[in-house]
Amino acid sequence: MRIRLWAALASALTVSVGFLTVLGLLIGDDLGALSDLARELYLREAANVLLEIVTITIALTVFIGILNLVLVHLGRLGGRQRGALYSLVLLASFGLVIGLYAFRPADSLVLLETVQLSVESALAALVLFALVYGAYRMMRQRVSWSGSLFVLVVLVMLAGALPFSGIEPLQDARDWLLDIPVSAGARGLLLGIALATLVTGLRVLVGIDRSYRE
Amino acid sequence: MDQTTTQVLSILIILLALVVIAVLSRRRRRPFPLRPIPAYARIPDLVGESVESGRPLHLSLGSAGIGGESTVLAVASAELAYQVTQRAATGDTPPILTLTDSTALPLAQDTLRRAYQSRALGTSYRYSSARWFPYGSRSLAFAAAVGAMMDSDNVSANVLAGSYGPELALIMDASFRQRVPVIAVSDQLEGQAVAFALADAPLIGEEVFAAGSYLDGSSHQMSESAAIDLLRWLLVLAMLAGLVATIASQGG
Repeated sequence: MRIRLWAALASALTVSVGFLTVLGLLIGDDLGALSDLARELYLREAANVLLEIVTITIALTVFIGILNLVLVHLGRLGGRQRGALYSLVLLASFGLVIGLYAFRPADSLVLLETVQLSVESALAALVLFALVYGAYRMMRQRVSWSGSLFVLVVLVMLAGALPFSGIEPLQDARDWLLDIPVSAGARGLLLGIALATLVTGLRVLVGIDRSYRE
Repeated sequence: MDQTTTQVLSILIILLALVVIAVLSRRRRRPFPLRPIPAYARIPDLVGESVESGRPLHLSLGSAGIGGESTVLAVASAELAYQVTQRAATGDTPPILTLTDSTALPLAQDTLRRAYQSRALGTSYRYSSARWFPYGSRSLAFAAAVGAMMDSDNVSANVLAGSYGPELALIMDASFRQRVPVIAVSDQLEGQAVAFALADAPLIGEEVFAAGSYLDGSSHQMSESAAIDLLRWLLVLAMLAGLVATIASQGG
């Protein structure tokens, strides 16, 4: 069997660093001999050092992201591709904000508050309309029992939230929906995701993920 | 539950999962039966349409990133992106992979590069195929940017597998206006609800972690899905046992 050196090294590094960090974070002070062993081997200190390295690397990725954004839009502008005008606006805004932050930092905050926050607030308001229109379109395209149930529950939830008297049965139904089926369903979903996360995480940790084989 | 019990339980669960993965990974003879998932069944068609029409597929990790709670989700979503890109690599227009957490950018670029290399098309890989948009979970700016990108790049389909909140509705709305099919899933409950209601073919919860099993079919990947299913059944049995024990203790 042919073993590729770099793949083997990457797997070995991942497995050792992964297990070191997991054990360092998991083993507390009350596990008897296991805790003593962890203390003697400085597992917790090693895990903390590794986590600090991760934090520094994460900070560096912001620069990589900005570089990617600028290069992608420069490429679009240079190639005069469709939507190049958006790229021009983005690059001009980018230059303006960097320039303002360098020479007049207070004004860059004003720009953030007056432009970005207001635009994002407008977008947030649009989410409601997108959802309502989506529900309408869903019922128009395919009327299924699950779709009908979904829309019915949305209606009960919205109607039950109204501050009117005389709709106590609706409010009770809304509370029951939130407490029992919604809560149970949400827990089921989250438990499923947690189990899948555990299994996938362990696959990465023991070095059998695809990225180490290629 | 005190801290020591939590630690011991965590170690036991990790060991149990390790044993299950190890045992199932050794099984080679018969493939594990997989239940049909319409979203995965649709992916080959979407890839075919993309290659034939010369329009790029849009894949997105949302705000999933490395170093936080969504690290493993980012790895799973990258696997889905790998499988889709590998199939679409022979086309003229490379798939576009978008994300909003900059920590996932190296992962995204590596995923695309490996997918092209696996088809001996390494020279076709372009760094600009992985695109970062402004940062933040539930980033409305990301949703707006992705909506605009769908139009300017004339994408043929969207595979939105990652971490999204309600802002997913804005991306879906842009897709519908451009009549672009969408496969969507999120680890956030709000995003998952939007995906279920509005996507042409939703994935639900942990189904995104099974991309390799459904699209690759190797025994390594299939054992992962089998391990998740087995652990889920063990959890259900444990919960039922707890319920029975509680009822019995109250009756006694």
